[in-house]
Amino acid sequence: MAEFNKMSEMVIAGDFAGVKALTQKMIDDQVDPISIINDGLMPGMNVVGVRFKAGDMFVPEVMMSAKAMAAGIELVKPLIAESNMPTAGKVLVGTVKGDLHDIGKKLVNMMLESAGFQIIDLGVDIAPAKFVEAVKEHKPDVVGMSALLTTTMLSMKDTIDALKEEGLRDRVKVIIGGAPVTQSFAEQIGADGYAPDAAAATDLCKQLTAN
Amino acid sequence: MTRFRSNQTEQATPLLRWVTDSQLEEIHLATLEVLERTGVQVDHAEALKLLKDAGCIVNGNRARIPGWLVEEAIRMAPRKIVVANRKKERVMPLESNRTYFGTGSDLPFTIDLETGEYRRSTKKDVELAARVMDYLPNYDFVMSYAIASDQTAKVSDLHQLQAMVANTVKPMIVTAHDERNMRAQLEMAALVAGGREELRKNPFLILYSEPISPLVHTNDGVGKMFACFEYGVPVVYTPGVLAGATTPVTKAGTIVLMNAEALAGVVMAQLKQKGAPIIIGGGATPMDMKTTTTLYGSPETMMNYAIMTQLSQYYGIPNFTEAGCVNAPVPDAQAGMEAGTGILMAQLMGANLVHDVGYLEGGKTGSLTFLTMCNDFMDAARYMGAGTKINHDTLAVDVIDEVGPGGNYVTHPHTFNYFRSEIWTPATFNRLFWQNWEAQGSKTTEDKAKELAKEIVAKHTPEPLPESVLKGLDQIIAETEKN
Repeated sequence: MAEFNKMSEMVIAGDFAGVKALTQKMIDDQVDPISIINDGLMPGMNVVGVRFKAGDMFVPEVMMSAKAMAAGIELVKPLIAESNMPTAGKVLVGTVKGDLHDIGKKLVNMMLESAGFQIIDLGVDIAPAKFVEAVKEHKPDVVGMSALLTTTMLSMKDTIDALKEEGLRDRVKVIIGGAPVTQSFAEQIGADGYAPDAAAATDLCKQLTAN
Repeated sequence: MTRFRSNQTEQATPLLRWVTDSQLEEIHLATLEVLERTGVQVDHAEALKLLKDAGCIVNGNRARIPGWLVEEAIRMAPRKIVVANRKKERVMPLESNRTYFGTGSDLPFTIDLETGEYRRSTKKDVELAARVMDYLPNYDFVMSYAIASDQTAKVSDLHQLQAMVANTVKPMIVTAHDERNMRAQLEMAALVAGGREELRKNPFLILYSEPISPLVHTNDGVGKMFACFEYGVPVVYTPGVLAGATTPVTKAGTIVLMNAEALAGVVMAQLKQKGAPIIIGGGATPMDMKTTTTLYGSPETMMNYAIMTQLSQYYGIPNFTEAGCVNAPVPDAQAGMEAGTGILMAQLMGANLVHDVGYLEGGKTGSLTFLTMCNDFMDAARYMGAGTKINHDTLAVDVIDEVGPGGNYVTHPHTFNYFRSEIWTPATFNRLFWQNWEAQGSKTTEDKAKELAKEIVAKHTPEPLPESVLKGLDQIIAETEKN
């Protein structure tokens, strides 16, 4: 359908207003709302993902595309039963206890959202007990922890231990990131994965939720 | 007899200005508007109360600071801050256009000097970096370079101070986890100086504390700063940003936001204590829009630092900036370009405290080899910054007449007398013809710098601290760890 292609192109171009108008037109024309997401919005975003990875698109362009897609989803969402809503998975994120830095985490959030993940951001300075509580409440597929400081990254292990104690560890995948964090640290503390940047975090989440 | 020239003007050192005074005023007025209209978030109760009592509009933790108060605080802040070395020699007066170089702090990773392995940094790395910089003449101050990540995390910052102070007499800039650990470090410094009064007279350390962009002043960030003022210890209070993520993407917008954060710090500092020694500036690094990494060695940062240095001179407040820090993961040609241009710019602009020299991989990795290479870069920049001497002797008209057409200068006493000062000699650069270079082992600049670094580590012994002081430092660390 030509309109789907047009919508994809608008997502790629980050045409926020265009996507919004076209989505509304499609809704008015009785196009299946799930099809609007799967055949119009997502294919555009998938192209964005590929181009970003190849270095042909830049972060602000990806953000604008994600924003355009979100504008469309916002319109169709009320028309779809929650259980039928297409999603890549639910990711709970937070910067660990004692650490107030959040730009890295925000970037990861935005990249994940643009890849179709649902994000629950707990914010900064999140103690292990708070992560546990939120896992119980939101039942995410993945828990992501961020730290910029070497002194605070040790708290990542405490959170993993707390999840174990509560019997929740097997229900979620745990991923970690931040400047001082490494793959070997992830293995050492029993995390399921580590990603050096936001793009890699997106791939990692896709990989972990696919299994 | 030749008489002197009337109306003679001289450019003793080169003049580099990036913007005009009216552009500086434009930036200043935009900054005042941000502080007055948007204001700042202050999560430190005492600071918030000080701001409120001084006439700021305070709602919750948001303080809107009127322009007159900012300008009054700028006038109160000292134009000159003298920092001493560990031996109470007042070696580092921070005054406009005097430039000092040093490395940065807290690199999580290190390229091992012996094995070449990329690994997590340790306390030993802090010690070795301090010792190497104690020896290399172009490092004026030290920072920890590495993180003492093999020590108890709770007191790793104290271990870093101990490692530095035991391995160099040079002034140092420290970081601290929180106010409590800052106070412990101040006690350590007082012990080294021979008492709090001695430390106040000749402070040999500076705190580096940060607001978090955009416009957030944390409880610990401000608390650490206030603690230092009680001890008469100067404070660098400056943000490190990601332009395009935590500040506007435009260079001017980045500078305005960072300036607002630094000046809010100046206001809080002067309200806490008139004349509190505060240093402004910061790390004006953009975000790479392909990889999201922090761009340390990029042209934009150098352009930003040029203007920020001019701003500090306009205010008459010492500044803190960076150079010699690169995104290249290894000390290659890219690293040389990134480090060299930044260092030269900082020198020519007359920035005060130029830190982060010797950082690799966008501020994540240290290498004693690169630290040693940068000593040569700074040497060249200083050589250029010192300017070209023009006088009767250097114009050499008499010599030109003596040698005449077709002669040579290599045997002339004039050459003998001046060649050392007129032609710069590097320590590690390669200047050999190919055959000679091969005959001497085909060593790259990096190889030569590595050799020099190894030699310094093996042979240089810094002036030791008395045994009793070392024990006292251990004791403070142990007590802080317990409580």
